[in-house]
Amino acid sequence: MDNDNRVLTRMGARELTEQEVETVTGAFKTRRTLTPCFVDSKQQLLNGDQAIGECGP
Amino acid sequence: MKLIVLAPEDDNHTAPIKWAMEKAGQKVVCWAGLSWSEEGQSSLLMNGDDTLVLGGHSVDAGDVIWIRRPEPPVPNPKVSESDKKFAALEYRSFYHSIAYFLETLPVWCINRYSAARVMIQKAVQMRLASKCGLKTPATLMSNHPATVREFFARQNSRNICKGFTPHVWQKEGKMSVAITETFELGADQLPNDEVLTYAPAIYQERVPKEFDIRMVLMGNHIYSYALKNKKQALDWRQDAGLGHVTAELVPTPPDVEKGVLEFARQSGLCFGSLDFGVDAEGKWWFLEINEQGQFLWIDQFNRDARLLEKFCAFVTSPQGSTLPLEARQDLFPSLEEYEELLKREQVPPTARGRTDDPFLSMEA
Repeated sequence: MDNDNRVLTRMGARELTEQEVETVTGAFKTRRTLTPCFVDSKQQLLNGDQAIGECGP
Repeated sequence: MKLIVLAPEDDNHTAPIKWAMEKAGQKVVCWAGLSWSEEGQSSLLMNGDDTLVLGGHSVDAGDVIWIRRPEPPVPNPKVSESDKKFAALEYRSFYHSIAYFLETLPVWCINRYSAARVMIQKAVQMRLASKCGLKTPATLMSNHPATVREFFARQNSRNICKGFTPHVWQKEGKMSVAITETFELGADQLPNDEVLTYAPAIYQERVPKEFDIRMVLMGNHIYSYALKNKKQALDWRQDAGLGHVTAELVPTPPDVEKGVLEFARQSGLCFGSLDFGVDAEGKWWFLEINEQGQFLWIDQFNRDARLLEKFCAFVTSPQGSTLPLEARQDLFPSLEEYEELLKREQVPPTARGRTDDPFLSMEA
């Protein structure tokens, strides 16, 4: 990652491997996908404690 | 009485709760939010006998409105290019009218939209929590480099950095992602001043926590769960997703309970998920509240929690009831039962994809 003009929060972000993403993907298959930070890269979805509507204008 | 849920039916909390309520004979309808399509249309008539209709469902006295996660308003895409901006603003204004109007009706809103809009602001949360007697860490929200450096120069301080909102960065063509997380940051790790202006951030005294608490507030009822992970990570959220966390019911200290109930009273919130850190001396530090935070995952980690049943008991109790939810939770089926049906595909799947997720960016 080129850090020259990235935001500080991106620099501190946690990198999840493809395997880790798979672990938290797949609806109820893993029984953990209601957690406060559920990344579903297949569906391009971040489902967490904050809702999209909450952050809008 | 019926429960009107402002969220898509396949939202991962809405679907099991709707199913459980219906199994217990309760009426539940969903409205995903304002949109041009027939199911998204709404009418608000003020003509002596005021009425509000959401996607064909009338809002009646005594109804409970769970403003879970409505979709942002969707204008008709066929509208002229010249009118798109105007139409979008009109949709947004009408949605706000609906959301605030609900508070004026003889219904119970979980939560009132005005309270929710104020209390999602982390600065407001921290200040009110402190005012209500809850212990809060020193916090700076800033994009002013000199002030950030000054904050980090406090003697013997250890600090963390976190964002206001979650975000995911996905590498083009890959499955791996980077996700925002609270991280420790030393004064010597601060980037150059310009970077500190790229995005404001929250800088905070690091709570010397031994473990985390996820608390669920339902009216006058508080349920606290100790979250422990072997890695003792600063931010447990991803570890929860990876299954490295346990959730154990713990008693809430009386002073914390008193503070939280006062916080709820002053904020106007009757429902929410709160995060605390507990230090070696057993002191509970308030970190944040998400008024529509996820809570059913605790049932997945601890089958005795039965938060799905408790939530159903909560929304079918009279507003402000102090009777224990446990007394009525047996009226409702469990999340485990729902999950079994889901596995056998006897209930529809949850969490459909979005093609335009504002929390997700692509990067090279």
